[in-house]
Amino acid sequence: MCERYVEAVRHSRELGIEILEAREQSVRARLPWQERLVGNPDTNMIHGGAIFAFLDQLGGLANALRVFPVFEITPTIDFRIDHLRAPTPGKAIFGEAECYRLSDHIAFVKFEAFAEDSDEPIATGLATYMRMQVDNAATVVAGEGAA
Amino acid sequence: MKNIKQWVEDCRNGTESYQALIDRVPYARFLGIEVVSRGEELYFILPSKDTNVGNPTLPALHGGAVAGFMEQAALLFILLEMGEPRIPKTIDLTVDYLRAGHVRDTYVECSITRLGRRVANVHISAWQVRREDPIAIARAHFLLSE
Repeated sequence: MCERYVEAVRHSRELGIEILEAREQSVRARLPWQERLVGNPDTNMIHGGAIFAFLDQLGGLANALRVFPVFEITPTIDFRIDHLRAPTPGKAIFGEAECYRLSDHIAFVKFEAFAEDSDEPIATGLATYMRMQVDNAATVVAGEGAA
Repeated sequence: MKNIKQWVEDCRNGTESYQALIDRVPYARFLGIEVVSRGEELYFILPSKDTNVGNPTLPALHGGAVAGFMEQAALLFILLEMGEPRIPKTIDLTVDYLRAGHVRDTYVECSITRLGRRVANVHISAWQVRREDPIAIARAHFLLSE
């Protein structure tokens, strides 16, 4: 389901997001290093914006897993990212999102990101999402409505 | 190769364009960010582009692409606001999404709330139809390292 979801979202496909593991309310994925995602051409480090977009996408997936088998779309209300240390140049980034609380209208998600070669987190994040039931969300995940 | 101070100097005296400076950043080219200068004022534009689409049903811009655009605009903005340019590093970024971003051109404006010796606090606003109706606002801190 997560793979189809990422496949349907054009920007996430462009980022090259690979799903590694999906659980009941959390997801783990990989953001491969790509030259075009580099923020500083002198250091070859991935741009903070790309890490933000990667984690934001994982938040949507964590929500989808948490509400499964119901289909909802969950637009982001707010998202904060803290960059704890620099990502390793030329290395992929691993990200994890957990929907740790689902209220009637809001999903609360926390995030961590790691460089491929280290156990120390490079970034943490915290976000809230709005729960919206949409009739055709199921067709998107099933692939029919995918652009 | 030209260092960043030389780049900023060349942009200020008009021998380089601000667009050439931002085009040095691969991620800025990936998103398709454009910079327009009017005197010393800078305007940031994210032209409508298929690769920045998130939700395919609405369709809407990906919130992450909007955030990346806002962050990169702020990075360039601070770089050019400093008398002695130093590369800013993002400490944190908090984005509040106020409206769905439609698949159309998006504009960003930045204002520096406080420019300290080590840290800059920046307010960023993104809009599509009119600036009074932002689709997202953000607050970010940047470390100004040597």
